Amino acid sequence: MSVHLQSRIINLRRNLLALGALVEQRVTNVIEVIRDGDVDLARKVRQGDAEIDQMQLDLEGECMRLLALGSPMASDLRMILTAMRVSNELERIADMCKGISKRVIRLVESGNYRYPPALVQMAEAALNMMRDVLVAFSNEDIRLCLEVRRADSYVDDLNREVVAWAREWIAENVECSGVAIELLAVSQRVERLADIVTAIAEDTVFLVEGRLVRHGAE
Amino acid sequence: MQIESTPPSPGTGAPQHGQHVRQFMAVPGAPSPVATPTAIAVRGFSSWYGSFQALKSLDLDIPSQQVTAFIGPSGCGKSTFLRWINRMNDTIPSARAEGSLQLNGVDLLEKNLDVVDLRRRVGMVFQKPNPFPKSIYDNVAFGPRLHKHYTRAELDELVEQSLRQASIWNEVKDRLQASALGLSGGQQQRVCIARAIAIGPEVMLMDEPCSALDPKSTLAIEELIETLADRYTIVIVTHNMQQAARVSDQTAFFFEGRLIESGSTEDIFTKPKNKQTEDYVTGRFG
Repeated sequence: MSVHLQSRIINLRRNLLALGALVEQRVTNVIEVIRDGDVDLARKVRQGDAEIDQMQLDLEGECMRLLALGSPMASDLRMILTAMRVSNELERIADMCKGISKRVIRLVESGNYRYPPALVQMAEAALNMMRDVLVAFSNEDIRLCLEVRRADSYVDDLNREVVAWAREWIAENVECSGVAIELLAVSQRVERLADIVTAIAEDTVFLVEGRLVRHGAE
Repeated sequence: MQIESTPPSPGTGAPQHGQHVRQFMAVPGAPSPVATPTAIAVRGFSSWYGSFQALKSLDLDIPSQQVTAFIGPSGCGKSTFLRWINRMNDTIPSARAEGSLQLNGVDLLEKNLDVVDLRRRVGMVFQKPNPFPKSIYDNVAFGPRLHKHYTRAELDELVEQSLRQASIWNEVKDRLQASALGLSGGQQQRVCIARAIAIGPEVMLMDEPCSALDPKSTLAIEELIETLADRYTIVIVTHNMQQAARVSDQTAFFFEGRLIESGSTEDIFTKPKNKQTEDYVTGRFG
């Protein structure tokens, strides 16, 4: 089983990175959706979610088979446990992209779509984190994982800027409050997306060193 | 057999006698490391069969009342080391050792050591069940009768307690005078464990105790090992990686006569520090 196990773990890793690349593409698309109010692209993002769901289920199924049949130990065990978590996290990021697209479609169709620059900056920062975390996972680069974790606070700062902007907008234009709330929902999802990327960075630390660094642990 | 005993050398970086500290995974909120007394302290221990060096400068603390597993490929020295702990290598003329090997402060390499008394303190269970061609009762009573005079009632009590501790009393209580050879392999092995328990050892050495048993009997022995660890220090040699992971608290990995890595079983099987350990536990070699 051992040689067989190793080749299956190599495949598992490859498939996980393929899922990561696909989800990264979704996040890239979502930046265009937010920036340009591109409804067609938003619809494509929503439609593409089923493909990601299926890839995640396939990965999780393979992890369960390897755990049950392969008796993995040490780095093999960590790889499988990490793949289970990270595939789930990637699927949730794709869900965030779908949710953002749904709201931008609504906002554009309301005829009153506007946003502060901080929202696009947030999405771009989240995309950079996403790219970095995939490189960190691929290269097992702990230093880069910790940088990704630190970058999350920049996204949080930008989210606060968006909230302040929305407050001001509502105060001046009460009739726009419904639109502003939708926009805040978009901002909140981008912020959540960056949190999930941070969790992937923390899972990568576990993969490499066997240390659990979630919930603020060093 | 020739023995050269040297005092433990301080400053080797290994914990000193009585200072063993059990390691835990670095999990937030996990309990703090708990100090566990050392039963067997090994320092700079080497051994030879003639000119062949079987063990090379081992440093290890085996904690008291825990299960320590020795793992490693065939010929790596695990069984040789086990046989030094109760001086079974005395029967091999070309065997000799250097360094320090102590059981609760007693030098096990001392030339004048009473090995009969040592084997009372250190029981052993072998790969293949080896009951004597006697009744179940006489198998268990054999050791105690050698060491001390017991009344019939005392011996009955000791045999029952030993068989109970070995989790086989209910299966054999109605046929204690039947031959132990008529039992199944798993039952024979538990009778052999009862036989070892009956002499009141401090340490139980188990050399692949389940390798000749079916899965059900293996499970029974593994459950027994867990129970026995409350009272005895257990050292088990096993080729079954999952078994080492299931039953032991500590694991030591041997390769080509060297102790490559030792630590908590959790660490050895989830995040070993050494590349050779990693390769062995993941099945990449051995």
